[in-house]
Amino acid sequence: MTRSLTTRRPVQTAERDLVRGAQAGEVAAFEQLVGEHADRLYAVAVRLVVDRTEAEDVVQESLLRAWRGIGRFKGHSMFSTWLYRIAVNESNRALERRLRRGVAIPIDEEFVQIPAPAHDGPASQAEQEELRHGLDTAIASLAPPYRTALVLRDIEGLSASEAAKIAGVGEAAFKSRLHQARLKVRAALDDTALIAAPI
Amino acid sequence: MRVLGRRDDHAWSQEHLSHYVEGDLSWLARRRLELHAEECPDCSRGIRAVRALLRLMHATADRSGAAPASIFDRVRADAARGETDQARET
Repeated sequence: MTRSLTTRRPVQTAERDLVRGAQAGEVAAFEQLVGEHADRLYAVAVRLVVDRTEAEDVVQESLLRAWRGIGRFKGHSMFSTWLYRIAVNESNRALERRLRRGVAIPIDEEFVQIPAPAHDGPASQAEQEELRHGLDTAIASLAPPYRTALVLRDIEGLSASEAAKIAGVGEAAFKSRLHQARLKVRAALDDTALIAAPI
Repeated sequence: MRVLGRRDDHAWSQEHLSHYVEGDLSWLARRRLELHAEECPDCSRGIRAVRALLRLMHATADRSGAAPASIFDRVRADAARGETDQARET
């Protein structure tokens, strides 16, 4: 289930050209370069800050930082890894600001009310919704470093190695966070419902 | 040293179910967990639960929807300011 940014979209000449264009100040090149990742970046930000409006702000600010800092991108890592790392850092800054203001983490209702697949009967739909609501709440309750590990590896499906680079930690530390996060999330859910869930 | 079939296998297995599913255990540790799980309904069920949890989380990946069209607003504004400044200098 690993969804590597590297294998999903290997380094191509086209990407290098777009990076050069963006470094030369071409907004269109930058937008094209980043556009492919925009939906995933937004999804990660929504998961990390647990609020759509704040996630939009996080992504806007991340892209501004990436635009202003594109000259420092030397191609030592994948462009996507570099970009995701900026977004994760910006999400963490947003969470720190929220913590300083003493604001609790909201659970975005629109975010958690997910329609179940159409082939399910009414009972199964309700159960599945409850399970997903529980999952969202459990993930939102994790401390940011653990949430980041879970979101990058288990939700986004990135390889542990790539996700560790994005999180800015070594792979061993990343995996330790990931396993702890899974333990906590599983403890918050009902095993029977999990196993029976029609996924 | 007796590595397989120890008395603390249950607590150890419960803590390492995610490592097992992730493929992060050594061959010996993997065997230790598998041998225990064969006789322990809790741990056998735990393995299935962790796998189901991973499937469920992966299935939620695309639920956030498309990024709003506004995400490039600040970049465009910044670029436009840059162009204006450049025009003033020339």
